[in-house]
Amino acid sequence: MNDQILIDQAKARLGEKVLEITNPAPRRIFIRVKVDDLLAAVGWLKNELGFTHLATISGVDLGQAFELLYHFANNFTCVTLRTDIARDNPLLPSICEIIPGAVLYERELQDMFGIVVQNIPDGRPLVLPDDWPAGNYPLRKDWKYERPPEVIPGGKK
Amino acid sequence: MATVKTLIYLIVYPGLLFLFLYSTFVEWYDRKLYARLQNRMGPTHTGRFGLLQPIADFFKLMAKEDIVPDRADRKMFSTLPAVGLAIVFTAMLLLPVWNYSLDQPSVTSFNGDLIVLLYLLSLPTFIFFLAGWSSTNLFSTIGGARVLTMLFGYEVPLFLAVLSPAVLANSWRLAEIAAFYRQRPALTLVNLLGFVIALICVQAKLERTPFDIPHAETEIVGGTFTEYSGKKLALFRLMMDAEMVVAAGLLATVFLGGFPGGALLGLVNFIVKTLVVIFFLSLIRATTSRIRVDQVVSFAWKYLAPLAILQLLIVILVKGLIS
Amino acid sequence: MKFQIPIGPQHPALKEPISLRMTVEGEIIRDADLRLGYNHRGLEKLAEQKTWIQNIYLTERICGICSHSHTTCYVQGVEKLMELEPPRRGLYIRTLVAELERVHSHLLWLGVAGHEAGFDSFFMYTWRDREIVMDILETISGNRVHYGINTIGGVRRDLDEQQVKHILDSLAILRQRSEYYQHLGTNEPSFVARLAGVGYLSREDAIALCAVGPTLRASGVPMDVRKDDPYAVYAEVPFEVCTADTCDVLGRTVVRIKELFQCYNIIEYLLKNLPSGPVAVRAPRRAKPNEVVSRYEAPRGENIHYIKSNGTDKPERLKVRAPTLGNYAATLKMLKNGFIADVPLIFAAIDPCICCAERAVSLVDARSGQEKIISMNALKQLSRQVAAGNARKREAEWPL
Repeated sequence: MNDQILIDQAKARLGEKVLEITNPAPRRIFIRVKVDDLLAAVGWLKNELGFTHLATISGVDLGQAFELLYHFANNFTCVTLRTDIARDNPLLPSICEIIPGAVLYERELQDMFGIVVQNIPDGRPLVLPDDWPAGNYPLRKDWKYERPPEVIPGGKK
Repeated sequence: MATVKTLIYLIVYPGLLFLFLYSTFVEWYDRKLYARLQNRMGPTHTGRFGLLQPIADFFKLMAKEDIVPDRADRKMFSTLPAVGLAIVFTAMLLLPVWNYSLDQPSVTSFNGDLIVLLYLLSLPTFIFFLAGWSSTNLFSTIGGARVLTMLFGYEVPLFLAVLSPAVLANSWRLAEIAAFYRQRPALTLVNLLGFVIALICVQAKLERTPFDIPHAETEIVGGTFTEYSGKKLALFRLMMDAEMVVAAGLLATVFLGGFPGGALLGLVNFIVKTLVVIFFLSLIRATTSRIRVDQVVSFAWKYLAPLAILQLLIVILVKGLIS
Repeated sequence: MKFQIPIGPQHPALKEPISLRMTVEGEIIRDADLRLGYNHRGLEKLAEQKTWIQNIYLTERICGICSHSHTTCYVQGVEKLMELEPPRRGLYIRTLVAELERVHSHLLWLGVAGHEAGFDSFFMYTWRDREIVMDILETISGNRVHYGINTIGGVRRDLDEQQVKHILDSLAILRQRSEYYQHLGTNEPSFVARLAGVGYLSREDAIALCAVGPTLRASGVPMDVRKDDPYAVYAEVPFEVCTADTCDVLGRTVVRIKELFQCYNIIEYLLKNLPSGPVAVRAPRRAKPNEVVSRYEAPRGENIHYIKSNGTDKPERLKVRAPTLGNYAATLKMLKNGFIADVPLIFAAIDPCICCAERAVSLVDARSGQEKIISMNALKQLSRQVAAGNARKREAEWPL
């Protein structure tokens, strides 16, 4: 299976659901889909093309929207599904039904971007502390870290 | 005169003082050997060749802060190390090292002392269990449960293996068993299988690799000793070293012909023979990996116990032949 | 009787902080849960504030053991963004260091596996021989841990004849020793008894849970980024993907030992076919707005970096997915219905490298059995209260 066959198949099978396909380098394919079509696209990748390995999910804060990139890989090529969600209503369907191994990445997205992943099997915080203040999402571009003033016990006031 | 002799026997040799010094030496020997087998140096710094390292460790631990957990049974937690040490030191007195005579059974050498010694060696295991249980720590509790589980595995093969030479010698008295084999050295070879079984069981009793399951640090932190610190831990460590000496002494008495030759030659005999036994124990420790507790029990009952019974059969056959 | 055992955040079996919480019945684990974040350093956020060059050294510090993996993954992504073609000699040296790193990581893992199984002699032996690789790496790069050899557009140091000879000589010793370990690791009865059948992960589960690296390959899935998506010079180097089909810790050990021999072959090939020429090209300071997915086969599995540039000298986004994160879901699966005694082995078998963080402590109140979470500040206050109640021990005397 080479990249061209895959692109042709994507166009044939997904049809209008594919908004854009790019192939910037050998073995790198980026497919843009709408968020509503995400589950269909992931299901197609896994069941029909055998892309069972989800490498990771990357989130990017674009200012107005969040861009999510699902990096899939198999023995021949690496496909990235790309989708956008609105920043003021960050709802994302969970793909754990199709790929059970995605749960940690989705939990990380919830922690870091404040994206609400719907139907996630386990939605507890993953990397942030339990007493992390609500509404702080570190990887959003408008979030700045302020180091709290250090207090030395018994030091000078 | 007899009183003085008894006092020396209790306090100097082979009692308290000798056992303390010799157990620290044995710990050094074990550590050094283990280290050399692993391509390391082992203790080098304190004293010549690091000989004083175990003593330094002991005193260092004595000086450390002693913590008793809030939830622990305070009395039990504190008395266990001392009781355990007392038991092991008592067991040492039963070994036919110096103060015994064959024809005149005395306080410490009597018919049946082999059984008493075996039971005294079983008690430390219960001390470990109680220590783990009374500290109420999760890891200690699991460690304590593992101590008992292992006990069911190795205790029967150990008893069978140690009793078969006694059956051949037709005596339950350690001194007589040793004397029997000194008169007929060829018969020691009959018990070779029993010696190997007993070595493995003693390794398990002393909780050393591959049987260091109750305090496997990568699984359950310190196991039974998780909550112990300071003086109590020091006493426990001394107790384990002393137990190693006594167990090695028991094997040397029963299988290797004991320690003839009065005070001085007997001492040399004792040291050489126990060190040989401990050499094997260290060798097992260096060449194996820790096994699981269920594997210990199945190994003990599948291999050790049947082999021990085989040994008993051999002994009974040989006994029929020579009599 | 069911109760919960905490493994971590501080535990002798763990070299880095992570919290595993096991519900056990006797010696058998019924449920396992994982809490990450004790070591999270906000590195992805930090990377957005550093320049391309500075980020090399930042990514190098993601991990101490696979430091070269992360820089290579990052650097080859940035080279694509900047449309640079590194010289062949530079790529050869980069690959050489990568393979040496794999050797040292696998030897280290073998030792750790031995230690977790209570086989300390194995641990001492493998770590002694790991020193040989560390020495080689030191000769090449000047450093033992963070080699600092990668730069955008090539590598920073060249090799000379003497170094090549030194590496080849040391390699002969390593090869001989590894054969001994292969024999020992697969034949010593008590060691094999601890490894065989432990941490079973079926092929289907391994695929579904997105396991990576030797964990995946030990379940019989021949997936190796070096073969599937050749980067650097792997397309021209002959080597095989090592797999095992036992799906247990023994299989993972065998895969790693087999990979050691492949590494020696690769290193030998690289040294014998080392092209001449420069080792690096000059890199621009800025990258055009673009994005790239860079993959790399680290010793522990697939490492993936997603880099997005915005035309400045800083990245817009750097996403790092270290191999260990990909293996956690599989680990929880493996732990269930195992023995407590196997926890360290199963956990170590994925070769965990923990780089994530939090500052909370979860305490189980022994009296009520209820779990409560105490923040670092509350804990400090609590300790001060307790300390204030105690008698001062400052005047205590040395007891000897």
